[in-house]
Formats: sequence, structure tokens, C-alpha cells
Amino acid sequence: MDEQNHESNENLQAQSPGNKTGEELDAAGKSLSEALRISFAILKVIMLILVVIFLASGFRTVGSDEQAIVLRFGKIRGVGEERLLGPGLHWVFPYPVDEIVKIPVQKKVNLPIDSFWYYQSASELLGGGPKPRTNFSEKLNPVRDGYCITRSEKQDQALTGTAGSDYNIIHCKWQLTYKIDDPERFFRNVYVDLEKIPAGQNYADIISKNISQPLEYMFADAVVTAMVNFTIDDVLFEQVATIAQHVKKLLQEKLDTIESGIQVVSVQLTDKTWPRQVNEAFQDSIKASQERQKAVSEAKTYAERTLNKVAGPIAAQLYAALQDETVSEEQKEFLWLQLAGTAQDIIAEALAYQTKVVASAQARAEYLKKILPELRKRPELVMQKIYQDAIVEVLSNAEDKYVVQPIRDSKGREVRIYISKDINTKQSSD
Amino acid sequence: MKSMAITIFVVLIIAILALYLFSFQVREIETSLVTTFGKPTRKITEPGWYFKLPAPIQRVHTFDSRMRVYEADLGETTTKGAAPIIVNTYVVWKIVEPLRFFNAVGTIKEATSKLYSQISDTQNKVIGQHAFSEFVNSDPSKIRFRQIEEEMLAELQKSLEHANYGIEIKTLGIKQLKISEDVSKDVFERMKAERNRRTEATKSEGDAQARKIESDANLKKEVLQATARARATIIKAQGDAEAAQYYEMLEAEPELAIFLRNIDALKEVLKERSTIVLTTDTDIVRLLREMPHIKLIEPNEPQTQPR
Repeated sequence: MDEQNHESNENLQAQSPGNKTGEELDAAGKSLSEALRISFAILKVIMLILVVIFLASGFRTVGSDEQAIVLRFGKIRGVGEERLLGPGLHWVFPYPVDEIVKIPVQKKVNLPIDSFWYYQSASELLGGGPKPRTNFSEKLNPVRDGYCITRSEKQDQALTGTAGSDYNIIHCKWQLTYKIDDPERFFRNVYVDLEKIPAGQNYADIISKNISQPLEYMFADAVVTAMVNFTIDDVLFEQVATIAQHVKKLLQEKLDTIESGIQVVSVQLTDKTWPRQVNEAFQDSIKASQERQKAVSEAKTYAERTLNKVAGPIAAQLYAALQDETVSEEQKEFLWLQLAGTAQDIIAEALAYQTKVVASAQARAEYLKKILPELRKRPELVMQKIYQDAIVEVLSNAEDKYVVQPIRDSKGREVRIYISKDINTKQSSD
Repeated sequence: MKSMAITIFVVLIIAILALYLFSFQVREIETSLVTTFGKPTRKITEPGWYFKLPAPIQRVHTFDSRMRVYEADLGETTTKGAAPIIVNTYVVWKIVEPLRFFNAVGTIKEATSKLYSQISDTQNKVIGQHAFSEFVNSDPSKIRFRQIEEEMLAELQKSLEHANYGIEIKTLGIKQLKISEDVSKDVFERMKAERNRRTEATKSEGDAQARKIESDANLKKEVLQATARARATIIKAQGDAEAAQYYEMLEAEPELAIFLRNIDALKEVLKERSTIVLTTDTDIVRLLREMPHIKLIEPNEPQTQPR
């Protein structure tokens, strides 16, 4: 409204000079007044343009992953949800009335933390290949080398006899992913030097550059605090996820304490290693546990094979059933039926024996029953026949047969027959 | 009339200039202090638009009241048990009292140097009250790490309040916990010894485990075999028992039965791979030597007749 009033005033002024004083002025005066009038008109146009530019400068774009806070005379404008401007085009009063602060909210930022890693020279870092394991000091320089202190295994106390203050050293690398989830809190509490934004540079980059140091500090704090609660083996092999979770929790607590409006999205333990100085001992240890695993799996294979050989696939089941009082006889019988292996051989042999012994007894009984009437009639003859039949069978089955004539009268002489087991060689001497 | 337009224009410019000279803004994230001839006369902690007299009568000093971090890079300190330890502490701090800050500190640089000495004192004092085993302990329940941090924070807040710098510590943390270079060597030696001990333990444990599995299997094998054998004996006994039923039939002629069984046994024993040596005295081969004398019986006496 103000601007329009000005403009109408100016129009009035521009027209009035010609009306009132026209006849009193000479030609020169007229041309001067004309010149003034033109220059004044030009000035008017310039002012108009300036006003338009001034007003147009109030248009600001908020990016899709940003939210903006508007400061009116330094105070955050609006109430409740209105305090934040979402993505899109907005008009605010130009400076010095309003000031817009854009804050990236959805953008997840990664921040690697290498402060717990041992010192690596530029060439080592560039080398990229396998980490050189030679060429390092046998001590760690507390200024140059980064590391974490972890607690010792609990049961070691009794063995080492120390007061439980044993600890281990480990190197680790982390990655933190965070985002700003409360732009107002973030704006109020976290120091970001926005005055120095070079024209055209991304807000988000400036902000993440600015807050990386405080985040690094707080992250390191969380790591140090968490790590003393874990053992080196937890970190190396067993509880990587738990530790990361623990660190995340501690860091979030810290960030909430200072009302930073920053949310930890994830914490990752990207790399970890025992100090190079103790590499050999750790390698040996790993080798030993691999060997143990191998020995155990070999023993298991042996056990499996042995049992399989004895009783087939149901061996373990059968054994368990035999040891277990609650297993019913039926179930046991069922298992016995599936038996294989050497135990089955024993059973099979017994079954064969059973069959045979019964069959032969039966046969003999039948036989006797059959021959008994005849035998009663002619015992001598039948007995003789049975006897001779047997002898014939035996002799015909024999591989070698020798018939010798004993010479009774000559004392001290005997017949010797040497029988070789495999070859049918025979020797006789008088 | 032209001059009227010009006048308005000039007034506008003067008004803007006056605004700059006579007023100032305090933003949400700032606190300000107004000095009159260098003497602090007004402090402003609420954001807004304020008037002042133009410089050089009144000047405005603005302080950013957002939180900053500062790390005190310190050397070694000693714990209660005189163990050397390297603790790097950082603080999150902010300016809360512009007047106090202006009077006692002035600049951020000066503030950090004041903080440095405060942190240094606090750290030495608090850490000196705790043993190394409270920082790290094989028994997690004895670790007092967080408590130590909290104690340091409380102590530091107390001494800053006392010093009245207009600075507030929001939080504090230990960002590096280290040991001296020489101690690290000892730690490595201990780690090695510990690892080697464990390697040995692992090895013997593995052996024992493997042996146990094997002997377990052997035991199972024995048990299964013995059970199978027992079962076999029962089966055989069952066979024998069944066979015995038939033997009952033989009881009528026990001697005959025994004779028959002997014959069967003989057949069985000499079934294969046997070598038999007979003398010519043996009944069956006597024929090789001589013709037997057979006396025929009279036909009217039909009795047993030898062949």
C-alpha cells in the first residue's frame, strides 16, 4: 500500500509543474523544465524497478529435502507447524525484515570415523594393497596412532592375579549415518557458521562440514565408552552388531542431551583389527581354533562312521532308545528291525543259527520217526547203514585221503605225513 | 514540486540510514550486549528488534549462543594408583550470559583458553580420584567410565559457575582413552601371552573334545554290539528251545539220538578242507587189504543178515 501511495504522489508532482508555471517561463526555462521532467520520469522508472526487484528478492525456493525457518526481526516466525516451511516456492519479506534459513532434513549424511586406526603413512594409504605388516614400531604412539581399549576376559582374573585392570588394544573404523530430524532444535542449538556461505554453495554441504567435528567428538566418546564394556573377542568375532547398537544408543543419548535435533540413522563398524604388533599370536590363535574345529569335525565323522558301521543309520537312535527307560519295547523292536551293520550281522547269524538248529532238529526227528520202525526190526543193519553213509559222506568230502598200512612188528618205525596247508605237497618217510 | 519528490526520496534514504544507526536485530540464536561509551548498559537475550543510540555512543556486541565443541588436547595424567593415562576430553559449551562473557572473557579464543585450563584442572583432579581399573575392568560391573565422565562434568560446571564466565557446559565426554607409549609395549606383551595361552587351551580343548567324541562313539559301538550279541544269544536260545521240542521225540531212544547227533557233528566238522589219514585197519577200507569172510545164514533162519 505504501508503495502505491508514493507512486500516486509522484504522478501528481510530475503533472503539476507544466500546468501552473507554463506561461511565465521562457523557451530556455521551458526546455530546462522539460529536461527535469524527463530525468524525473527516468528516476521514477528506476525506483519502480528497484521496488520490484526488492520485492522479488523475497521469493525463495526450499528444496525437496529441505525445510526452512523464517526469522522475522530475528525471531522465529509462526506458531506450531507453521514455523517450518516445506519444499516449494515461498515469499518472505526481504532482509532486514525476514531472513530465511534452509536446513536439509531428509538427507542422510555419512561420516567415516578413522580416529581409532593406527597411523598410516600416505604411501601406505595410497598403496591400497595388502596392509604392510612389517615396518612398524613395537609401541603405539598415543598422539599419532588411534586405538580403543577393551576390557579383558572376565575369567582371566583368577589366572593372571591382577586386580582386573587388564585390557586389550584394538583398532577399528566406523561409519556414522545421521540426519537432521528437528530443524528448529538444530538451528537453535548447533553452531553452524552460515554467514560464510559462499554464493551458490549448497546449504547441506556447509552444514555437514560444520557439524562433522562435534559429531566426530561425540561419536568417539560413544565408542570409547562402549568399548571398555566389551572384550577384544567380542569386537573381533562375536558381538559386532551389539557393539554398534550400543554405540548408536550412547551417541543418540549425547545428541539428545544437547538438544541437537540430529538423529543417528545407523552406526557401522566398518573395519577392525588387532594391533599389528600382536598379529602373530592372533593368527596362531585363529589357526588353533580352526584346527580345533577340524579335529572335532573329524572326530564327528569318525563317530558317525563307527556307529554306521556298527548299526547303520539308526545307530544313534537305537542307542538313545536303549539308554532311555521311557521308550516302549515296541519302539525298540521297531528300531531293531531297521538295524544294519556288524550288529545286524551278529543278529543275522543268530537267526540263521536259530533256523538251522530248529530245522536240523526237526529233520532229525522226522528222520528218526521214519526209520524207527525199520530200526526196531533190524537194528544192526540199519545202524551200520547210517554209520557207513556218514563215513562215505565224510570221506568223499575230504580233500585228501591217505591210507596207510601199519607195520606192527618193526618197533620204532612210524609213518609221518606232512600236510602243507595250501599246497597239496606230501612227504612220507619210513 | 519536483523538490517534494526529491525530499521524499531523501527522507526515505535517511530513514533507512537511521534505522541502521538507531536499531538492531537480535536473532534467535544470539544474545547481545549494548555498551554505552564502552560500558555495558543493556543485555538482550530475547530475539527481536531493538533501538539504540548510534555509534560511537552505543555499540552492540552480539554473541552466538549456539553450542560449540572444544577439545582439550591434554597430555598424560595419572590415576589414583599412579598409573599413567591419556584422556582427551571435549566439552559442548555455549555463551549464556553476554554481560559476564563480555566482562570476563570477551572473545571465543579467550574462552577456549580459559576452558582449557578449567578442563585440565578438573580432569587431573577427577581422574586422580579414580583407579585405572575403574576405567576398564575385566568385570564390567566395576567399570565406572560413565560416572567418571559425569563427575568431571559436575566438577567443571561447578568451577565454571564459580569463575562466572557466562559460559555453560552442556555436556562433556572422553573422546580418546589412551596409554603411554611405553605401557603399550607391555600391553602387547600381555596380549601376546594371553593369546598364546588361549591358543594352547584351544588346542588341548580341541583334542579333548575330539577324543571325547571318539570314545563316546566307541562306547556306543560297544554297547550296541553287546546288546546285539545279547539279543543274538536270546535268539539262539529260542532256536535251541524250539529245537528241544523235537528232541523230546528222540527221548524214546536216547542212545540212538546221541549216535545220530554225533554222526551229524562228524559230517559238519569234516565238511571241507579236511585231510583224512586212515589205516587199513579201519573197517571201511579193510576191503583194500583183504576180502572179508562172510558166513551166510541158513535161509530158514531169517534174522539180521550182514552183507
